Amino acid sequence: MSYDYLFKYIIIGDTGVGKSCLLLQFTDKRFQPVHDLTIGVEFGARMVTIDTRPIKLQIWDTAGQESFRSITRSYYRGAAGALLVYDITRRETFNHLASWLEDARQHANPNMSIMLIGNKCDLAHRRAVTKEEGEQFARENGLLFLEASARTAQNVEEAFIGTAGKILQNIQDGVFDVSNESSGIKVGYGRPQGASGARDGTVAQRGGCCG
Amino acid sequence: MDLVSGYKGMVGLVFGNDNSGSNEDSYVERLLDRISNGVLPDDRRNAMAELQSVVAESRGAQLAFGAMGFPVLMGVLKEERDDVEMIRGALETLVSALTPIDHAKGPQNEVQPALMNTDLLSREAENISLLLSLLSEEDFYVRYYTLQILTALLTNSQNRLQEAILTIPRGITRLMDMLMDREVIRNEALLLLTHLTREAEEIQKILVFEGAFEKIFSIIKEEGGSEGGVVVQDCLELLNNLLRKNASNQVLLRETLGFDAIISILKLRGSSYSFTQQKTINLLSALETINLLLMGGSESDPGKDTNKLTNRTVLVQNKVFDYLLLLGVESQWAPIPVRCAALRCIADLIVGHPKNLDTLSSKVLGEEPQVEPALNSILRIILRTSSAQEFIEADHVFKSFCERNSDGQTMLASTLIPQPYSMTNAPIEEDVRMSFGSMLLHGLTLGESDGDLETCCRAASVLSHVLRDNIQCKERVLRIELESPTPSLGASEPLMHRMVKYLALASNMKNKDGKTSTKENSYVQPIILKLLVTWLADCPNAAQCFLASRPHLTYLLELVSNPSATTCTRGLAAVLLGECVIYNKSGESGKDAFTVVDAISQKIGLTSYFLKFDEMMKSFLFSPVKTTKLHKPLTRSAAASMEEIEDVDEQDSSDHKNEDHPILSSIFDSHFVNFVKSLEGNVRETIVDVYSRPKSEVAVVPAELELKRGESDKDYIERLKSFVQKQCSEIQNLLGRNATLAENLAKTGGSVSSQPEQRTSGGFDRVQAETLRRDLQEASQRIEMLKAEKAKIESEASMYQNLAGKMESDLKSLSDAYNSLEQANFHLEKEVKALKSGGASTPPDVEAIKAEAREEAQKESEAELNDLLVCLGQEQSRVEKLSARLLELGEDVDKLLEGVGDDMGLPEDSEKEED
Repeated sequence: MSYDYLFKYIIIGDTGVGKSCLLLQFTDKRFQPVHDLTIGVEFGARMVTIDTRPIKLQIWDTAGQESFRSITRSYYRGAAGALLVYDITRRETFNHLASWLEDARQHANPNMSIMLIGNKCDLAHRRAVTKEEGEQFARENGLLFLEASARTAQNVEEAFIGTAGKILQNIQDGVFDVSNESSGIKVGYGRPQGASGARDGTVAQRGGCCG
Repeated sequence: MDLVSGYKGMVGLVFGNDNSGSNEDSYVERLLDRISNGVLPDDRRNAMAELQSVVAESRGAQLAFGAMGFPVLMGVLKEERDDVEMIRGALETLVSALTPIDHAKGPQNEVQPALMNTDLLSREAENISLLLSLLSEEDFYVRYYTLQILTALLTNSQNRLQEAILTIPRGITRLMDMLMDREVIRNEALLLLTHLTREAEEIQKILVFEGAFEKIFSIIKEEGGSEGGVVVQDCLELLNNLLRKNASNQVLLRETLGFDAIISILKLRGSSYSFTQQKTINLLSALETINLLLMGGSESDPGKDTNKLTNRTVLVQNKVFDYLLLLGVESQWAPIPVRCAALRCIADLIVGHPKNLDTLSSKVLGEEPQVEPALNSILRIILRTSSAQEFIEADHVFKSFCERNSDGQTMLASTLIPQPYSMTNAPIEEDVRMSFGSMLLHGLTLGESDGDLETCCRAASVLSHVLRDNIQCKERVLRIELESPTPSLGASEPLMHRMVKYLALASNMKNKDGKTSTKENSYVQPIILKLLVTWLADCPNAAQCFLASRPHLTYLLELVSNPSATTCTRGLAAVLLGECVIYNKSGESGKDAFTVVDAISQKIGLTSYFLKFDEMMKSFLFSPVKTTKLHKPLTRSAAASMEEIEDVDEQDSSDHKNEDHPILSSIFDSHFVNFVKSLEGNVRETIVDVYSRPKSEVAVVPAELELKRGESDKDYIERLKSFVQKQCSEIQNLLGRNATLAENLAKTGGSVSSQPEQRTSGGFDRVQAETLRRDLQEASQRIEMLKAEKAKIESEASMYQNLAGKMESDLKSLSDAYNSLEQANFHLEKEVKALKSGGASTPPDVEAIKAEAREEAQKESEAELNDLLVCLGQEQSRVEKLSARLLELGEDVDKLLEGVGDDMGLPEDSEKEED
C-alpha cells in the first residue's frame, strides 16, 4: 500500500473510442469486446513502479457522451494527468480533439500532463487517421503521443506509465506544488519528498513517447 | 396603524390573511424599499436589521418577504460584495426566511412560509451559483450563513439543489474546501455534504475524487474516534452516504486508504465498559459502514459479486473479526443493538466465503487458560440471551456458517457426543470447558430438568443449520442416543425421539395454561418442527427413525388437525407427514409409505390434509411479500431516539394480522420457505404414485395357477380356493379404500370429475370460500354492532329532542309568566302615576323627547366622523409615501409640511365642534 506518490488521472475523449477498455486492460489485464456505456464516471487504481519508485495511479474513466460533460468536468481540476483518446478508425473522433483540449485547458490545472492516444491501432486495415497526423497534433499542442490497442494491450502500459513519468519529471523540475492537493498529486507516507531528487533525474520513459 | 392599511398586499389577497398580515406586508415592503432605494448606508443597514428581526419572528412577514424580497436581497448579494455588513445582514435575513417558525397553535395544513421560500429561492440555479461564490468570502459569518442557507435549501429541495450544484463548475470543490475551514464552518459543511450526497451517485464520486475519505477520517481521528461527539456521528453518516451502493467508491477506499481507518473506529479504547448514548450511536454507524461494504455496490452493477467478495476478504485480512467479536460477543457492557449489529456483520462476512469461514472457526476468545472457540461463545449467546433480537442475530451467524459449508457442518456435528446424564444435567454455568456439541446437546435436553423449552428450541434451531443439506451429519446425529432421565425406567432413546417428545410437551404446556397461543410458546413448536423437517429431507433413515416409534405417527396426525395449534404448526406437521411418505424407503409393513398415506387419508382426509399446506402458504411467514426487514440508515434524527433500535419483541406485529411470533419470520428464512413450497408438489405426486400402485398382499405368479405336477385335483382346488379368498379379501380392502377416496372427493364440492388439478383447485376454492365466509361473518358482525350503536344513538337523540322540547315549553311558559307580570306591573305603575297626579292631565314628556332627539343626532354625526376618518387615513398614507419619496429626493419634508400642518388641523377642529 505504501507509495512515494499518488497521481490522479482522467481519461477523456469521444464516446466509443475505448476509454473504459484501456482502463480495464491496464488495471485487470483483460479485454472486454462489448462494454456497457459508461455512466458518469468509473474508478480504477493500480500501483506502478517508475525507476524503482512505487507510484499509485488513481484513474477516473469518464463517460464520453455529451450529456455527462457537466459531471465529468468536475474531475478536470483535480487531475495531474489526462489520457485524451481517439479512435484511429473513426476520423470524427480525431476531429473533436480540439474541443476536448479546449475543455481541458479551460477547466484543468494548467500543469496537467496530457497523453494523446490513438486507440484501436490493431485495426490497421480500417485506419482513417494516420500516425503522422496524430503525432503532428500532439506536437502542436504539447502533448505526449502513442498509438495503442486495448485489445492487444499494445502500448497500454506505456501510455499510463509514460504519463506518470512526465508528471514525475514535472515534480522534479519544481513545476508542481505537491503540497497542494488540487494538483492531483499526493506525497506518500513512505518516503520523504525530494530527498532523493538527484537520483530521479533519469525517469524511465518507455515506449514510443514523443512530444 | 390600522387606519393606514389601505394597501392590501398580494400575499394578503392570495392567502386571505387577517389585518395583521397585510400590515406586515406593507411593513416588509417599506423595509425592502428602504433597502433597495435608500441612499444613507446606515438607514439601509437599519432597515436590513429590522427586516431580519421581523422575518425571524412572524410567519406573515416570512410570507411577505417570500413574495417580494428575494430579488432585492439577491441584488444586494450580487452588487454589494464590499459592504460586509450588508451582505451579512442579507444572508442572515435569508436564513430567517428559510427557518420554520414553530407555531404550535397554527393549523396543520397551513402554508409553511419557510418551505415556500426555500422552493422560491432554489428555483433559480443562478441563486445557487451566487451562494456558492459567497463561500470564498473572507468573512466568517458570510460563509457560516451561506452554509446554513444551502443546508436549508437541501433539506427541502434536495434533488433540485443536487442537480444545480452538479452543473456549477467547481461547485462541489468549493463545498469540500469548507471541510478544511475552522471548526464551526467545518461542522456545518459536514451536515450540508451529508444532505448533498444522499442518493446522488455522481456527487458521491466527485466528493471522493476531491479527497473526502481522507478528510472524513482525519476529522474522526481528531475528534476522538468512537469516543467523540456528534461530529463523529456526522462524519460517519457522510462516509456511509459515500459508500452506500457505490462500488466505485468502495473500490477506491479499499485500494487507496484501505479499510484500516474504518476498522480502527471499532476499536474500544479507554473505558471499554462505559457506553454513552453517543458512543453507541457512533459504533452503530461504524458497524453500518462495515455492513455497507459487505453489501457491495448497487444491484445492477455487473461486478457486484467480485467487489463484495474482495471487500469481505480485505476486511478479514485487516482483522475485523477481532473487533467484531469483542463488540458482539466478549464485551459484557456493549449495548444490545451494538452486539446485534456486530453479530450481523460477522454473519455477512462468512456467508459463502470459505477463507473467512476458516478464519472464524479458528478464532478463540478469552485468556489462557480459559480460552474457548468463538463459535462456542456465540452458541452460548443463543442459549442464554434474554434478547430475542440477539438470539436471532447469533442464530444467523450459525446459519451463515453452515450455508454451503459441509466441512464446517461436519466439524460441528463431530463434537456432538452425549455426556453421561450427570454431566448433561450439570448447571449451565459450568459449560466453559464443554465442546460445542456437548453444549448444544446440553441445551437441547435442558428442558428435561426444568420444563423450559425455550433453550431447547433455540438449540434445535442451531442443530437444524448443522443438519441442513448434509446427509452425513443427519446420519451421524441419528445415531446419537440419550440416556433416559431416569435410567431405572428404561433404555436410552435416540435424540430424534427426544425432540418429538419435546414437541408434544410444548403443546401440552399450552393446554395446561388454558390459553391457546401465548406468544411465549408459539414459536417453540414451529422451530422444533423445522428441525425435524430439515432432518427428514432426503434422508430415508431419518424418516425410518421417526416412524420407528408408533405413537409418533399418531401424534403427528393429531397435530395436523389440532384446532388449537397455529396454522404454521399444523402446516409444518403436514409437511413432516409428507416427508414420511416421500422419503420412506421402508418395506416394513406398518411403517411404509403406503401405511402413512392410508393413515392420512383415513384420519384426516386428503383434501383437508392439503388444505393445511395451503393455509400455511397463505400465512404471513410464507407470503412472498415478506421482505427482510430493512434497517434504515442511522440518520441524526433516527439516532436521536435510541428507542428506534429496539428489540424484535417490541416490534409491532399487529400491522400484518399475524398470529405467529416475529422471531419466526427471521428463523423461517427464504431457503426454508422455498424448500417447504417445493415439497408440496412432491408430496402430491408421491401420494398419487402410492395409490396407483397399491402393494398387493397376494403375489400373483402365473405358474402357480397351473396344476402342479403330482397334485391332486382336490388339493389344486383347495389351493385355488384359498388364493381366490385372499384376492377377494384384498378386493374388499381396495373397495373400502376406494369408497373413502370417493367420499373425500365428494366432500371437495360434489364435483364428479376426478381430475387432480380440479381437486387441488377444489381445495383452493374451499380455502377461499372459507376465508370469504369468515370475512362475511366478520362483516355482518360489524354491521350488527353498528346497527346496535345506531339504534342507541337514535334513542339518545330522541331523548334529547324530547328534553329540548320540554325545556323550550318550560321557557315559553316562564317568559309568558314574566310578560304578564311585567304587564301587570305596567298597569300598576300607570295606576300609581294617575293616582299621584290626582287625575290632572299630564303634559307631554319633554325630557324623553329631548333624549331621543339627542341620540339620533349623535348617531348621524358618528357615521360622518367615520367617513372622515377613513379619508384622513388615506390622506395620511399618501402623505407618508410622498414624504418618503421626498426624503429620498433630498427635500426637507418637515419644512414643507409646516404650512400644511395647520390645514390638516382644521378637520380635527371641526370634528370637535360637531361634538
